[in-house]
Amino acid sequence: MRRKLVHHLFRGITALCALLACGILGWLVWAIARRGLPAISWNFFTEQIKLVGASGGIFFNIIGTGILLLTALVATLPVAVSLALLHGVYLRDGKRKRALETMLYVLNGMPSIVCGIFGFIVFVNYFGWGKSWLSGGLLLAIIMLPTVTVALMERMATLPSKYVEAASGLGMRQSQIIWSVILPQTLSGIITGSLLGLARIAGEIAPIMFTATIFAGASFPKGIKESPVLSLPYHIFILVQDSFDPGVAEKIWGTALVMLGLVFTLSLIALPARLKIHEEAHHG
Amino acid sequence: MVSRWSFTKISTFFFSLVAAGIMVAMLVLLIVQSIPVWKHEGWSFLTGTKWFMRTHEFGAAPMILGTVLVSFTALLLAGPVGIGAAVFASEFLPARLRLAVKIIIELLAGVPAVVYGLLGVLFLRNWIYDLLTPFDPLSGDTLLTGAVLLAVMILPTVMTLADDALRSVPAAQRTAARGLGLNSTEVVLHVSLPQSARGLLAALLLGLGRALGEAIAVFLVVGRQDNQWPEKLLSINPLIESGQTITTKLASSETNIAYGDPIHWGAICGLALILMLMVAGITLASASLQFFSRSRHAS
Repeated sequence: MRRKLVHHLFRGITALCALLACGILGWLVWAIARRGLPAISWNFFTEQIKLVGASGGIFFNIIGTGILLLTALVATLPVAVSLALLHGVYLRDGKRKRALETMLYVLNGMPSIVCGIFGFIVFVNYFGWGKSWLSGGLLLAIIMLPTVTVALMERMATLPSKYVEAASGLGMRQSQIIWSVILPQTLSGIITGSLLGLARIAGEIAPIMFTATIFAGASFPKGIKESPVLSLPYHIFILVQDSFDPGVAEKIWGTALVMLGLVFTLSLIALPARLKIHEEAHHG
Repeated sequence: MVSRWSFTKISTFFFSLVAAGIMVAMLVLLIVQSIPVWKHEGWSFLTGTKWFMRTHEFGAAPMILGTVLVSFTALLLAGPVGIGAAVFASEFLPARLRLAVKIIIELLAGVPAVVYGLLGVLFLRNWIYDLLTPFDPLSGDTLLTGAVLLAVMILPTVMTLADDALRSVPAAQRTAARGLGLNSTEVVLHVSLPQSARGLLAALLLGLGRALGEAIAVFLVVGRQDNQWPEKLLSINPLIESGQTITTKLASSETNIAYGDPIHWGAICGLALILMLMVAGITLASASLQFFSRSRHAS
């Protein structure tokens, strides 16, 4: 009798925890969609901001975030692929592999505001770029690097060794094997990792607030030095701090909804491949 | 495979060195740039409770305390819920529903910090203000508000990692325990949880690391009042007053002003260094507990 009671109680409590976690997401999406949907219109996407955010749209914020994400992706890919190859192909020694994994682990936990300060010192001041899309993109690349690398590393670990052995038996050199067997076979890992990495950095503010993004007055960047961009998350960040204007509030929620849509889309596209890798990693 | 120094190999090593170089550069730069403040303040940079940039007084203690209070409270709130939810998802739910929960948690992990900040500003701080009326708070911007918000933000991390840890317990052990006549709760309590204890602890530590380093959402709701060293440390008071964490200080516009002044800038870099070391320490502890968790928690 007591055993059954404990059983039901335990199950009930853990179920409540799970419900709470899922409920938060449900509430969050509902709260933002309900207030954000009225702001969404064609003009919201195609106009630039007017009247300090109270009117107009978020065209250049979308463009700016796009530029930052693209820069970060381009900068991350070669490094992520290199690190994964180093881990999967070149390093034979378990200790060194572990050292590399630990480095990625620490980088993954690095507070993004610390990366922001780092970028402020290096790019804005040492390099003299001022606030520039490139410094922001490079910083975001540092933040997304571990996500992309780990996804690719795990995909490589599930690659059947007979592929490499067969290629080796055909007399291919190591670099040929990498280019014509390993990389094409792990392309899904690269794509999944990139999407997850992008989802992770799309909403980051801390790294770009001192290095790349301003609130208003920027359009397409014309060079590298002193060429900041607008961005979606910084838009919300500034507006939410001192705004009681209902017109602005509607725009804030609209922007939040757009951002949420962007991030959810990125992670949902990556999801099937990711769950598959996950299952393989556990039972493969 | 004969390994020669092909172009591929050279570029692989080059880019890997770049990655390692960035990490070393981060540490070295912050140490070098913070030297002026250590010369100026000595250990009182860590222990001093006053931060006045105009008179060159830089004591980081209130911010360190704020960081610790906010992140441990967040962990205290998110830890049990996260582990409870993970237990329910991995032990009691059929595979399909489990997948659905997992997807929801993945999405929750991806919600940008500023969106949490927005909800915090518009809802949470009012709720906290109402909740705290008996204590007569000045506003809803308190360390507690920051902690509750952080708890929601680290919940997915804790839950995903806890779920992974529980799932790494072999199914055969559960079956054997069921065969001995234990019901599913007893299996969880006597087999799954003890077997995955290290992984669960690692999940909690990683959640704590995330909480320590989060800047933007906390910035919006914590009140950001300098020099808040509580009169009574062991009471609820420090939590229900506004305060400052290391991250909110770093994210404030003071960072822009500070650059021209070596000592002031040193103080900012010193804060970043302290934070970096705290987080790296916790991350390494978590890593050594459960080496390189198989999961890729998205944020």
